[in-house]
Amino acid sequence: MSFEEFQNRARLYVIGALENGEVREFEEARREFGEKAEEFITECYRLHEAFALSLKPAKSSDALKERLMKMVRERKQGGSG
Amino acid sequence: MPRRPKIPLEGDPDETAPRLPATTPPLGPGEPTDLELMHGIQEEDPEALSKLYDRYNGIIKALILRVVHNEAEADDLLQEIFMELWNQAKNFSAQKGKPLGWMVTLARRRAIDGLRKKQAYMRAGERLQNETEQQPDAWVHNATEEEINFSDTRALIRQVISSLPPAQQQAIDLAFFRGMSQREIAANTNTPLGTVKTRLELGLKKIYDGLKELKDEL
Repeated sequence: MSFEEFQNRARLYVIGALENGEVREFEEARREFGEKAEEFITECYRLHEAFALSLKPAKSSDALKERLMKMVRERKQGGSG
Repeated sequence: MPRRPKIPLEGDPDETAPRLPATTPPLGPGEPTDLELMHGIQEEDPEALSKLYDRYNGIIKALILRVVHNEAEADDLLQEIFMELWNQAKNFSAQKGKPLGWMVTLARRRAIDGLRKKQAYMRAGERLQNETEQQPDAWVHNATEEEINFSDTRALIRQVISSLPPAQQQAIDLAFFRGMSQREIAANTNTPLGTVKTRLELGLKKIYDGLKELKDEL
């Protein structure tokens, strides 16, 4: 697999769109290309951020945050106590 | 389009390398960076989680809603995801990406899992097929002049995405927001598998390249 083909596959890989057989080939090429491959894959994950940021933010209630923070504080107390 | 001051990439040691642009909003003076907040969470500081929640709950909820299409389920998942973030914070490594990327990856996985569980209880395949056959699921509408003039991060990203042919947008949308494999997309859109693969590859490359070009705009 050329590095250009690897790059094409990597963009599909990070969004989980490779088929099973393709994943095996991709993993082999990933090992072969080593650090260069890892750097490119990390870069591709920025697509995730971009896709999320393409959406209009949605509103959540204050009550939801209060519930979350209550759970977090309880978990922290439970963990340390 | 007017040029805007470039925002430095957080934690990026080499800004001359051809990297995708920073996609996080600019911070006010004295505000902690996402990375500082993640370190706070790793040290079990609830205030750090509170700040990160305030900064990103809208984006994360929008992502979840895009997957599950249900307000109540989205709220439940949002709470679960931030709780998981608190519990799993020690697994976060800045070397593997930015906090927002980690959160989005986590949220997407959770939301798609939630969608699949729901689909197991209903004939969702038919519902999805109906949706996709009725009209290509518009991910973004065409960027308006107003949006382009505002030139915020979202408008610029949407501009890149909306420049893709609708079929490519639809394929990426189904893969990213619905967690569909190439075969599932092919089946749900009555499109040959090879065509789906080509649409995904071309579309993702265009978005990737487009975002790199935006680096000078952001």
